Amino acid sequence: MLIGTIFLVGLWGIMNKANIFKKVIALSIANSGIILLFIYYGSISGETAPIEGTLKNMVDPLPQALMLTTIVVGICVIALSLVLVYRLYVEFKTLDIRVIEKKARKLHE
Amino acid sequence: MNESIIIWILLFPLFGAAAALFGKIFKVAERFFSLVSVFSFTGPVIVLAQLCLPVMEGKVFSYALGGWPAPYGINLMVDGFAWVSSALISLLIPLIALFALGNRKYGAQFFFCVMLLTTGMYCVVLTGDLFTMFVGFEIIAISVYILIAYEGTSIGLIASFKYLILSTTGIFFFLFGIFLIYRELGVLSIPDISILLKSEGGIRNTYSIHLALAFLCVGISVRTAFIPFHTWLPEAHAYAPHPVSALLSGVLIKISFFALVRIVLQFGGTYMSEFLLWVGGLTAISAVIGALSQSDAKRLLAYHSISQMGYILAVFGAGSPIALTASFFHAFNHALFKSLLFLTVGTAVGVSGFRNIYKISSLWHKIPFFGLSFFIGALSICGIPPFNGFASKVYITSGMAGSPAYGLLWITSFLTIASFVKLSRIYLPGNRAEQGRSQRILTLVSEYLPGKVETIVVGVLAFLCLGSGIFGVQIAGFLHQMLYHSALNYTLPLFRVEKLLSVLPAILLGIAAFRIVTSSRGKAISSWIKALSPDMHSVMILFFIGLLSFASIAYLR
Repeated sequence: MLIGTIFLVGLWGIMNKANIFKKVIALSIANSGIILLFIYYGSISGETAPIEGTLKNMVDPLPQALMLTTIVVGICVIALSLVLVYRLYVEFKTLDIRVIEKKARKLHE
Repeated sequence: MNESIIIWILLFPLFGAAAALFGKIFKVAERFFSLVSVFSFTGPVIVLAQLCLPVMEGKVFSYALGGWPAPYGINLMVDGFAWVSSALISLLIPLIALFALGNRKYGAQFFFCVMLLTTGMYCVVLTGDLFTMFVGFEIIAISVYILIAYEGTSIGLIASFKYLILSTTGIFFFLFGIFLIYRELGVLSIPDISILLKSEGGIRNTYSIHLALAFLCVGISVRTAFIPFHTWLPEAHAYAPHPVSALLSGVLIKISFFALVRIVLQFGGTYMSEFLLWVGGLTAISAVIGALSQSDAKRLLAYHSISQMGYILAVFGAGSPIALTASFFHAFNHALFKSLLFLTVGTAVGVSGFRNIYKISSLWHKIPFFGLSFFIGALSICGIPPFNGFASKVYITSGMAGSPAYGLLWITSFLTIASFVKLSRIYLPGNRAEQGRSQRILTLVSEYLPGKVETIVVGVLAFLCLGSGIFGVQIAGFLHQMLYHSALNYTLPLFRVEKLLSVLPAILLGIAAFRIVTSSRGKAISSWIKALSPDMHSVMILFFIGLLSFASIAYLR
């Protein structure tokens, strides 16, 4: 339930915030929602950490392995998008996507 | 044969990327290292050539990475699908990369991104499980964001940012689909999922499996640019550097389409065909109307990419036995002629310094060879015999026989001709007075004048367009053999008189449509359509509309 809320808050932010920096933050929140979902599902099946030797009663290790990769990928995407945000800010002196698009359209014509 | 050679398809481009990074460190030998990175394509080509014959007979190679067996480890597979798609990659990207190498503007950094992109694409087509497909998509995405914004123009930055937000949101839903599948079935490897779905009738019909399929489709469809998700494509393709536009529209959207086909077919998503058919038809026609109204040369081509993807999707949705072959054949041909068009038109834009097609004219005298190649590409996309667009459109016609959506595609075909009549003025000499005026304006940007390597690349592409048109029957037969491991049981006579005559009304209607568009009322309508280009907010709204429609198809089924 909480995880679903986190994901939806992220999606709402991506959709409704005009500030591009806040959009990136929302992207990060939605990403965390997905990660928590996987980890939570994996943790249902057991109690202890999946370290070699503890064969009994351990959590499902596969979602954890997958989410490690997802976290890394997510960090790359967030870092790159922050670079783009910075470049856009230098270029247009604003973070509001509506203003940026209006200016760009004028520039194009 | 030792199956471990498959891994070299992935490793060679990765080494190429590393080599390009060396070029970044040792500035003196930058071009040498760029050349090395482009030539790392010989690895995949050799491996694929070795695998060609066994794969054609229906053998499937698989290699478990790191020695972990299939259901849990990562494994690479080469079957007919994967072979065809990776052959497309290793045919086109080296050509486009050579073109970029000939143009001295692009440094080692550029080739690093291109090779990383290639690795991601091979990863997507060769992988045997869903999660590795996700990783491959993200590798592709990150290098594409950099490549789109490579020139650092403000509009390129915005296009890149928009694409980043949209496709990352799409990929979240892809991950969510993976989660649903893992929860229901406990495996992620595509063949295992397919077996589980087909063996137990009970699991297969739960809503969460269908929802998972819909979410996976949405995640990939953002990359493939069908109609509610197409919004990122025109800007991204129009403002990227020219070789990158060729690469994106020639190869990248095809690769995500192949992944979509694989997922839909393996997961028993045949109930989606009807929906995909209509989405494809609508995509084809609305994108071509968008293309007709553009006055920006590269943006016009970008809209045509969406429209041709609509063709490919529609014929895949038609679902008759020849349809998949027709769709792959058209995807292959579109990759050839669209890269050719983007390279020639990109050169025209670069040389003249204008993007507006009404400001460029009569470049024929300056770069005649590129003019000739441009016309070969234009005739191909219009479906004029004997070029390859004609061949695959004949196959599409027979693949879609009897389907009501074919009417949409037929209208699209003559609107395509109309918009290329409009575009071809950049190479054709205009009338005398106009020519005099344009000569004064047109000062050529010598930095973009094509060198030897670029001319050769464009020549090769034009030659391939002509060749795959003339030998269309043989190539379609080969593709069919690869996909179904059986000979195509009926061959279409391509060059019969009535087939040739069937093109005529389309040409006449196309020219008529061109007259209408260039009339004053047509121009008013075009500028109205041009003003419709969606902003960020409506991009997201369109995305959610698409998501909901996919989910409701899965729900209603």
